Amino acid sequence: MSESTREQVMRHLETVGYLQPALHKPQHAPYPDQIDHNLYRAYTRSAHDVGGEPDVPITWEEKEEEQWELNTFATCECLAWRGVWNAEERRRRQNVDLGQTQYLGLPYYGRWLLTAARILVDKQYVTLTELVNKIDEVKRRHEQD
Amino acid sequence: MAEGHTHPAAPMVDEVSDFEVLEMAVRELAIEKGLFSADDHRRWTEYVHTLGPLPAARLVAKAWLDAEFKKLAVRDGVKASLEVGVDWINGPPTGFGTPSDYCNLRVLEDTPTVKHVVVCTLCSCYPRPILGQSPEWYRTPNYRRRLVRWPRQVLAEFGLQLDPGVEIRVADSNQKTRYIVLPVRPDGTEGWSEDQLAEIVTRDCLIGVAVPKPGITANATRPVHPAVHPVHHEH
Amino acid sequence: MSKIEHDRTHHAAKATGIGDPQCFHGEAGPAKFKVGDEVRVRNLPDLFYTRCQVYTRGAVGRVTEVVYESPAAEDESWDNTDQPEWFYSVVFRQKELWPDYPDLYENDTLETEFSERWLEAP
Repeated sequence: MSESTREQVMRHLETVGYLQPALHKPQHAPYPDQIDHNLYRAYTRSAHDVGGEPDVPITWEEKEEEQWELNTFATCECLAWRGVWNAEERRRRQNVDLGQTQYLGLPYYGRWLLTAARILVDKQYVTLTELVNKIDEVKRRHEQD
Repeated sequence: MAEGHTHPAAPMVDEVSDFEVLEMAVRELAIEKGLFSADDHRRWTEYVHTLGPLPAARLVAKAWLDAEFKKLAVRDGVKASLEVGVDWINGPPTGFGTPSDYCNLRVLEDTPTVKHVVVCTLCSCYPRPILGQSPEWYRTPNYRRRLVRWPRQVLAEFGLQLDPGVEIRVADSNQKTRYIVLPVRPDGTEGWSEDQLAEIVTRDCLIGVAVPKPGITANATRPVHPAVHPVHHEH
Repeated sequence: MSKIEHDRTHHAAKATGIGDPQCFHGEAGPAKFKVGDEVRVRNLPDLFYTRCQVYTRGAVGRVTEVVYESPAAEDESWDNTDQPEWFYSVVFRQKELWPDYPDLYENDTLETEFSERWLEAP
């Protein structure tokens, strides 16, 4: 008897709760017959879809905003204002394409920033070479201070 | 350090982080390539500085004082916003709304038997043009995981416990609608002016994790994670 | 080298002075569902991207508002905006969504939005 949709949903939520960023090497490239539907669903999930996953009580905190975080927000909105992308493209790239590990491992605005860098390259507004040269230039500029 | 100075100690070496380097690189390249101008970026930053919870608080206060306005607010949040100076479409520099917040505010009316609370499980969508920037806790995977499934437990952690008979309705803003909560007007506010009423409608009340109380004019005190290089405030 | 030309003007041209999602008004055709309809959330394949939360799939709720027309997020996220759909706000009983939701709080509900493709009659 096959699982009902609701049973699948409940099992999926429990399974993705076990996915965490890891520094050790996980098992590499299993055989296809070792991946059942539940694991396939887990590995191909949209990482942002966290509603209903178990988690523990934490202390709710406020945070002082970094200047670079505000700058990043303005950059992302200006890119959409001037038609480089729309907000939904940004969310897809920033909250899903980045992948499960970066999704949970990076700071909130770290993802916004990496995604802004990525769109410039993906849409050929800059080459990757131009991007890394600029990063290097900015770095050296600040080492000299 | 000066006596009585409560600011946390700055790092010994004022390093520029990887994030700060990348942020400058991206912004400089975008401007060099003509994707947006330095003036665009400055204008957007200035626009963000104008945003905060006061217009939403005034919308609630107006709704408490005027039954017809309350009906408008529930029926058409964008139109009602105009009366507190927020034009969702023409207000932002774009002239077509903010890219991330769109133009579909819905005002969720609490009653004695229904309490609303808002989350965006998929990211952290928030009604910035009328409420300002979202708090850190609202953006956490933790809040987004738990509020939809264990709302009573999460609200209790925020200090809010409701009668079991009350319907708690969690609004998960997963598409283009943005929500604010219109709480029930509390006892002890009879004869109050719009200003007095707006003062007790805090950001936390507008998200739905707190209810307004006479004498409470600020969000509950929580730990504040400091920034290494906080935002410059010229105003 | 092959370089794609991107039109950066199309959204501003469509939405300036009008707003988003207002700019898609009239483009989705007749709405399939109306306020009060019972609907079930379809468990469609969701490869690469979705904004239909997994926790809603297979659950039955009630349409509380027909909210606006817009391209579905699954398409808008690749800037494919030619086929807007109607969006609906749907209310679920929490006990319908979560098997372990306490009976004590049986009145509790959850409200969230779906583009039309995600809904079917129960």
